[in-house]
Amino acid sequence: MAETAAPARVSGGSPAGRLGLCLLLLAGLAVLSCAIGVTQVSPLALFDDPRAAQLLLVSRIPRTLAVILTGATMAVAGVIMQLLVRNRFVEPGTTGTNEAAMLGLLGATLLAPAWPIFAKMLCAAVAALLGTLVFLALARRIPPQRPLLVPLVGLVYGGILAACASFVAFQADLLQYLAIWMSGEFSGVLSGRYELLWLAGVLAVLAYLVADQFTIAGLGEVASRSLGLRYRQVLGFGVVVVSLVSALVIVTVGVLPFVGLVVPNLVSRIMGDNLRESLPVVAATGAGLLLICDMLGRVLRAPYEIPAGTVFGLFGAALFLIMLLRRGAHG
Amino acid sequence: MANWTRLQLTAALVLGLVGAAAANDDRPETPLLDTARGAQAVPSQPQALVVLDVAAADTLAALDVPMAGLPSRLYVDYLNAEQAQATPVGTLFEPDFEAIALLGPDLIIAGGRSSAQVDALSEIAPTVDMTIWGADHVDIALSRLRSYGALMGRSAQAATLEAAFLAKLESTRAAVADRGRALIVMTNGPKVTTYGRESRFGWIHNALNLPEAVVEQPAAATAEAAEAAPHGEAISFEYIAEANPDWLIVVDRASAIGQDNQAAAATLDNPLVTGTEAWKKGQVIYLNSASIYIAGGGIQSMTATLEDILAGFARGG
Repeated sequence: MAETAAPARVSGGSPAGRLGLCLLLLAGLAVLSCAIGVTQVSPLALFDDPRAAQLLLVSRIPRTLAVILTGATMAVAGVIMQLLVRNRFVEPGTTGTNEAAMLGLLGATLLAPAWPIFAKMLCAAVAALLGTLVFLALARRIPPQRPLLVPLVGLVYGGILAACASFVAFQADLLQYLAIWMSGEFSGVLSGRYELLWLAGVLAVLAYLVADQFTIAGLGEVASRSLGLRYRQVLGFGVVVVSLVSALVIVTVGVLPFVGLVVPNLVSRIMGDNLRESLPVVAATGAGLLLICDMLGRVLRAPYEIPAGTVFGLFGAALFLIMLLRRGAHG
Repeated sequence: MANWTRLQLTAALVLGLVGAAAANDDRPETPLLDTARGAQAVPSQPQALVVLDVAAADTLAALDVPMAGLPSRLYVDYLNAEQAQATPVGTLFEPDFEAIALLGPDLIIAGGRSSAQVDALSEIAPTVDMTIWGADHVDIALSRLRSYGALMGRSAQAATLEAAFLAKLESTRAAVADRGRALIVMTNGPKVTTYGRESRFGWIHNALNLPEAVVEQPAAATAEAAEAAPHGEAISFEYIAEANPDWLIVVDRASAIGQDNQAAAATLDNPLVTGTEAWKKGQVIYLNSASIYIAGGGIQSMTATLEDILAGFARGG
């Protein structure tokens, strides 16, 4: 739990209280998510109908867990990225990280199709790491007084990487295979087919353990060095976490844009940037919002599905625009 | 130089007149061809054909029509002989315009994946869009067969092929009658989509009177959406469990384009699918994916698909 001595902020409630509220809401959403699906299952049937229990164990609970893990870890990756680049508008989707991971995955699929999924994921992670480092080198050259230029450069850079991926995929007739990774969704999730995401969860917990150092790194290289932080190591660790999380999520469920962008902004407006306090709330909020989107995707065109990434894209873009505009209004 | 040009012009003119006169003698009118964009005048008995649609190439090959240009990859192995003799002219989605122009075709047959290029191709030579789409799939495919037969002066051969296909259709229809409901799914890597009556594979239901295994949906009918989605409707495995089909007809998209890293059977082998009637009775039919997915509507492809279904129903319990 977060420090209890944290000063109360304007919007009221201690960080621990907020986290408790978030977790409670998340638990409610998770239960709801387990209740939604093509098959109608009454809670009573769980006790006497083995098919209902199987459905829950094989499909609904794994899916709910996959959504929670994805939402939470993508949000955490977003917040880390934002602190390291010192820019509110970046996330793995606006730094070329996702596109680089996709290129790595594509390369592994083409050159070594027989490799196990874990090896392919590592290729994706290494590519994501390289892609992110290139972005960081690019971002360094952008003057700090032009914050909007950072995500713009990132988007252009990501676009170039995506174009490379499309070109390669087109030559190899893999365009629609690429599309599987491009649109994040959870319809294929079953027990035994999402467990890589737990690794992403572990990484997020590791990030939480060094949350204070990320907070300090967010003050910038000079300031954090003068505070005695090993800036390079923290930066390196952050980039590795972000790359691995992105690669794991893309390999298992596909790209989910906006989660890492919207959620940290939302939470930091309320709780500020002390990661030790806010990171659990960021994770819970990311999980909750993505869960809502996945449920909407299951319900809106039932019995067919709309990808959760598509729903979040709509919802997230709107939310982000509102935040941008309100920011402008407040100067 | 100027003389030479004039000579060439005259020669061309004379040849053209002779050609036109010859055409007038043998075939007094330019035939009208039924295309996806309505009836269209085309040169009669075109000699050099460029074919940019696998279904069309399939049917033309069945009619023994030589093809001068074909896409560099057709994905189906039964057209290898035709492929070897033809000049490669780019891909289905992106034709190689220079190569086509060099061939100087009398007629370009596009359709399906190349239909977006029809206007651009028309600048090179007369081009027809022979896309086969929609619920009348079999009717359109057979009308294409008759059109090609008439155009190439092989109507008798076309009639023989049509009769053979209709006989196969009839025997398949008899084989599937009263054997239960079927669900058509396509696997694409780890994900699954379903194809209903209105979809590109819907003709299997319609032409064979094969009942559909569906999950009841809310009043908001999604039929038109199902038709609009060329890759089917995304579903979860729970959908398959709930629909509980007696027959599961599977198209593996990855294997249709020669990828084999996540086979359909592996994707489907999970408790939700193995609990269905279809799986328990061994009534899962894996179609030749390249045939139905790439060459859908070709007379050979449709016959092969019927044979797959026939064999599957013969094996099933």
